[in-house]
Amino acid sequence: MIEVRNLQKQFGAVAALRDVSFLALDGSITGLLGANGAGKSTTLRTLCGVLKPGGGEIRIDGASLPDDPLILQRRVGGLLDHAGLYSRLTPREIFTFSGRLHGIPWRRLRERVEEVVAFLGMQGIADRRTGGFSQGERMKTALGRALIHSPKNLLLDEPTNGLDVPTVRALRLLLHRTRDTGACVVFSSHLLEEVRALCDRVVVLAQGRVVAEGTPAELCQRAGVRTLEDAFVAFTGTAEVLSC
Amino acid sequence: MLNQLLTIACKEVTDSWRDRRGLLSAAVYSLMGPGVVSLVSLAIREQGKHGASQSVLIAMMSVFTLVSAFVGGMNVAMDSIAGERERRSLLPLLMHPVTRLGVLLGKWLAVSAFSVASLTLNVLGFALLLRRVPPWQIAVCLLPLSLLAAALEVWVSTVCRGIKEANTYLSMLVLLPMGLGMAMVFSPVAGQAWWNFLPVAGQQLQLEASMRGGQLDMLRILSLTLATAVLAGLALLAAADRLEQDDVVYGS
Repeated sequence: MIEVRNLQKQFGAVAALRDVSFLALDGSITGLLGANGAGKSTTLRTLCGVLKPGGGEIRIDGASLPDDPLILQRRVGGLLDHAGLYSRLTPREIFTFSGRLHGIPWRRLRERVEEVVAFLGMQGIADRRTGGFSQGERMKTALGRALIHSPKNLLLDEPTNGLDVPTVRALRLLLHRTRDTGACVVFSSHLLEEVRALCDRVVVLAQGRVVAEGTPAELCQRAGVRTLEDAFVAFTGTAEVLSC
Repeated sequence: MLNQLLTIACKEVTDSWRDRRGLLSAAVYSLMGPGVVSLVSLAIREQGKHGASQSVLIAMMSVFTLVSAFVGGMNVAMDSIAGERERRSLLPLLMHPVTRLGVLLGKWLAVSAFSVASLTLNVLGFALLLRRVPPWQIAVCLLPLSLLAAALEVWVSTVCRGIKEANTYLSMLVLLPMGLGMAMVFSPVAGQAWWNFLPVAGQQLQLEASMRGGQLDMLRILSLTLATAVLAGLALLAAADRLEQDDVVYGS
């Protein structure tokens, strides 16, 4: 479970996050929805301990992030922004490297790598160097790396970018399966169709602030419109007016 | 922490070992010194000026040896830090529960391993050429130089945003031992005692002394090692500080 309260982050003169608060529950997929530059990636990077928060509080499974980012990183897995793989290593080697850094003992790690390879259906490519991989294979490898330490919380930043339709469907299935194991999945996107297909709850961000939170149906009801797209425009449009 | 550090170092060594082009270029640079010196000595022998040119040959050899320490780890430093940023694999790495100093020390160990290997190859080449076993004190003298070369390369690579930029600045760093070698020949202050304690220059003086068959002063070598270790430590701390800044996770 991830609780975020009044999260702020400043990059020089630019305020990337002004006031972000939301709750992402276990066993559900929470979508961060926002336009480019709304603060989705910065929120996720702060949640996984890569960026230091400028203010506010992050609690992951009840523990506070600034106290011990290293221990909390064990509870979070992430696929952020870009796959970022080592082209001369194989998926099995990448998973093993990641697992060792998470402190998984050798004997358990060997089993865990096989579990992840089977979960992602990567048996055919697990011993091939990632240099020649397709986008879908790269995404699977990056997802496997994020799942190697069985995190209770999984963060994904626009994971479907650049993927073809069958791979997007496969990813959706994998995320639903991950959620069904009781994990808390937080997923960012600016694609409304994707958010509707995947997310149980939606947090709408605009200019570094949360402007709405709820299930897709609740958001439509609150905005008095029929589609999520209209609700999104209604909420983010309001924020722009307010900020002027 | 030590386990994680070794995990990172092993991964970088495996990764760089598979980069055959990088390995080959480092090996060519390491063996270039013995090759060039053997050709020059052949030319000198033909001209019959053997005695007078001996000191020039020794100066050449020591510069090549020093350069080999810098060249050995250059590709690894470039690829494992600036390259990591460029292909955006630094962000996933920093998501692991490991401190940034730990990440850096792991990479430094890997760069050092390649630097030591290149230096060893070069010294073996010269030993074969001269048919003389170098004194063991030379290993004590040169090992810290490899660690310093690796630390400086790690620092430069951390400051750079991509492989191209790192390549430019690391190539300049390789010129450092060459520049100091030149300064020692032409500068009037070069003969002064404090040069013996100046990292890189000090190692060159010790190396030249051993090639001339002189006695090596262990106290002097140890003081030089201390100065070299302090400088390497400072470079690593500066690199770790750079890695703490927010913009490093944003690629090039």
